[in-house]
Amino acid sequence: MSYVLSLLVLLPLLSAPVVYLLTRLNRRFGIYASLALGILVLALAGYVFWDVYATAASNSLAPGQYILQEKYSWISFNGFSLDFMLGTDGLSSPLLFVSALLTVLAIFGSRKLIDHHEAEYYSLIFLFEGAIMGVFTSLNLILFYIFWEVVLIPMFFFIGVWGGPRRKYSALKFIIFTFAGSTIMLFGFLYLYLGMGSSASFDIPTLQAMLAAHQIPASVQYIPLLASFIGFAVKLPLVPFHTWLPDAHVEAPSPISVLLAGVLLKMGGYGFLRISIGLFPAASAQYAWVFLILGLFSMFYGAAAAVLQKDLKKMIAFTSINHMGFVLFGAYATLISGNLLGIQGAIFQMFTHALAVGSLFMLSGYIQHQAGTREIPLLKGLGTSMPKTAAILVLGSAAAMGLPPFSSFLAEFMVIAAGISASAWTAISIMVPVVTAGYFLWMIKRTVLSPAEPGHEAHDMDWSDVAGFAAYLVPLVVLIITSYLVLTPAEPLAQFLRGLA
Amino acid sequence: MLDYLTAAIVLLAGTALLLPLLQVLRGKSGNLAGYVLGLVLAAALVLVGLFVLYPSSVSWSGTLLIPDQLGGIFALVTVGVTLAVTVASFDFQKSASNPVYYSLLAFTALGMVLLAYSQDLLMLFVSWELMSLPTYVLAGFSKTRQSNEASVKYAIIGAMSSAVILYAISLAYGLTGSTQISAVVSRFASNPSALAGVATLLFVAGFGFKMSIVPFHMWIPDAYEGAPTTVSTLLAAATKKAGFIAAIRVLLAIMTITVAAGSFFTLANVFAVLALLTMTVGNVSALTQKSMTRLLAYSSIAQAGYMLIGFVAFSYAPGSTAASLGLTGTIFHVINHAVMKGVAFLAAALVLLQLRRADLGAYDGLGKRMPITAFTLTVAFLGLAGVPPLSGFWSKLLLILSVANGPYAWLALAAILNSAFSLGYYAWIIKRMYLDEGQSTERVREPFWFVLIFAVMVGLIIGIGLFPQQVINFASSAAGNVFG
Repeated sequence: MSYVLSLLVLLPLLSAPVVYLLTRLNRRFGIYASLALGILVLALAGYVFWDVYATAASNSLAPGQYILQEKYSWISFNGFSLDFMLGTDGLSSPLLFVSALLTVLAIFGSRKLIDHHEAEYYSLIFLFEGAIMGVFTSLNLILFYIFWEVVLIPMFFFIGVWGGPRRKYSALKFIIFTFAGSTIMLFGFLYLYLGMGSSASFDIPTLQAMLAAHQIPASVQYIPLLASFIGFAVKLPLVPFHTWLPDAHVEAPSPISVLLAGVLLKMGGYGFLRISIGLFPAASAQYAWVFLILGLFSMFYGAAAAVLQKDLKKMIAFTSINHMGFVLFGAYATLISGNLLGIQGAIFQMFTHALAVGSLFMLSGYIQHQAGTREIPLLKGLGTSMPKTAAILVLGSAAAMGLPPFSSFLAEFMVIAAGISASAWTAISIMVPVVTAGYFLWMIKRTVLSPAEPGHEAHDMDWSDVAGFAAYLVPLVVLIITSYLVLTPAEPLAQFLRGLA
Repeated sequence: MLDYLTAAIVLLAGTALLLPLLQVLRGKSGNLAGYVLGLVLAAALVLVGLFVLYPSSVSWSGTLLIPDQLGGIFALVTVGVTLAVTVASFDFQKSASNPVYYSLLAFTALGMVLLAYSQDLLMLFVSWELMSLPTYVLAGFSKTRQSNEASVKYAIIGAMSSAVILYAISLAYGLTGSTQISAVVSRFASNPSALAGVATLLFVAGFGFKMSIVPFHMWIPDAYEGAPTTVSTLLAAATKKAGFIAAIRVLLAIMTITVAAGSFFTLANVFAVLALLTMTVGNVSALTQKSMTRLLAYSSIAQAGYMLIGFVAFSYAPGSTAASLGLTGTIFHVINHAVMKGVAFLAAALVLLQLRRADLGAYDGLGKRMPITAFTLTVAFLGLAGVPPLSGFWSKLLLILSVANGPYAWLALAAILNSAFSLGYYAWIIKRMYLDEGQSTERVREPFWFVLIFAVMVGLIIGIGLFPQQVINFASSAAGNVFG
């Protein structure tokens, strides 16, 4: 048995107290140690990512197979058993990698932006990372739920302690929304468990084997599907469950916005693919159109709402809603049409959105720090006053609006193509990137290309920060050529999910 | 041969009787009485623990006491909580008459241990009174107007509940000619009658007062708020559990037989409605409270509602997996709740002691002023809300799982929504402690004994949360005693 995945979960969790103590002793040393530990986790995640790719590339990743599996008995009594079970496949490995990468970048970006309670801050980042790794690798529903909930606690404090002026309100709103959503999700899991009778289990592979043998009738699937839908829709977030997101983003410090958009929202997309479709396929297929339309509505709503925003960060937050709608749309387009591009594109979209929007969120933090405001109408002449910042802003926007050669183009293209094969009228989704491009270009026109206000001196970022941003954007360019790294392992999964439905 | 339980009982009784003699020292004894009781309770805890590990019959008791695991759990929990209360009282309760205070604590502990092992209705009633009477005095111990009011109110309600129980016992005796619980049950089963149903409902009402289930909960917030906070800890975390053991011993045994009646008015339905009312009323009321002790009191009521879910599962599907899950969940939640609510009340006691304030405003910015207390409260609150991986999560999981599918699925959903709702006020306090600015940021002293209890109990909440297997096994074998 391999121990890589449990190491991947435990290393950040155990790093949390270490980082706390080190940062209490010496601030600089603590930050360096955080970076080093973050990179160590990233290396592990990179290894997992590569291992999954290599397995898939050699055609030895069967549809529905999890590799690097680990299983330990945790609780068992009286017919109730619960395993500590981890595993990964083409869905979770890119998310593990991108989460670890964004954690490192968030730590890197925090060193200038976070100036109080640093010991608590960096140790909470590791608690968050460990929980996220747990969410993406758990192969047991209860374990999944546990990690899912643990994610909330650091995020509550991130927003509440290090956030902006309305941080307290936003933190409470965040935790109540997401906790309510996830407890309902738990109810779905418990309902499923009791509905299965004597062969009940919480292990995802066991459940999927039973599904394949038609031992879980559709009638048991409806309520868990609805319950878990609420949990995932709040996280994704899907309109109308999204109202916590703009508040949380606006108040969160920028490195945390990166984690919020780049990592936390992915939990919703992951849940839809792994659980809504992966465990309740019959019910999902039956209502696939409902989900597809909800996704489409979310895409349009996010884009339209983004046009209206004056706050740069709030605009990017709505962009996230728009982009995450693609994930749901693509996933269910595959269920309807059988076109694998939908699920592959959804996974790819989660990967690219994390990097593209991550860079923009981090950038909004820099702009606020240097120019003193994030209001788009007040930011004038960035092109001349802060040329490096402006260049990154243009590139990041290009990545977010899906302009080639950024791989977000490919992801959106795949999703829309799958949508069209589901039904011709969903071709209307092609209008979403148009709106997105529209508001990004309008934002650039007002901020970068407008004439500078005289006497308004702003400091540009230094080259080390530029290097930090390159770490977001370069992978996006590289991935359009090497997209097989993500798409090859995603294919068996897509086949598997299509086969279940 | 002297068995461990007898040794514990003799030790507690002797201490309770002898401690007031320290009164002759007229306040020169300092905390001597407290230290003595602390040691005695620690010894009693060990003895009860040994008795659980190496059970033997209690020969002198005849058929009054039953040496099973179920009793063991409740004895351990109640003695453990009394020990924590005693240790916290070293700092909290420094008045001159403190030997009497500690003696009353010892009597209560003795009553609870006997109650845990009772298998005879009369023994049950006697230990019930032995446990209750000292707490009426304790509730009024700070001799303020509010404390006196709490004491009188609690005493009147308590006397009423005792009367109701006694009436139920007399009915049971009249119908069956026995006070042995097992005999009563089997004769109720062979001779079902309307009066047996009345007796059962009277038991529900009588025990319900102590268990703090709605609609028998009115006295709880006033009593908890008025009583010295350490005593409130005892009431919420220990004597309330005694209500549960009595209910498990008496009611669950009866329930297995009356469920077949087929009418709507089954005990399962009664308990399902009571559970729903109790958790909802508790949580909704907690949200609007402005004082910490009242908030904790209502939260304690809500938690009793969750515990009742196990009774529902037990009575609608006797003998099934769901029933064993549910009852295990109830017993497990009793343990967890005793730890979590106990430590939350003690933290509130410390804040009251050091800041002289009980309103929620005192908690603004507490994270800076009393970091250990604030952290303890945070863990306890997250545990009470059922956030994983803390201990409260597991017991709630078992409880909810036991009814998640089947006729009472609505109850599971209600419990889940209640949990989510309750996080609203728990997170609100956490927000006040860590995010809000207090009037002062000056550090406040956190006495050693309090910190010690906090550390042990937070360790239990997290430890049981990460490694629940052993405790679940224990609770499960105790639940097995009820089936057997």
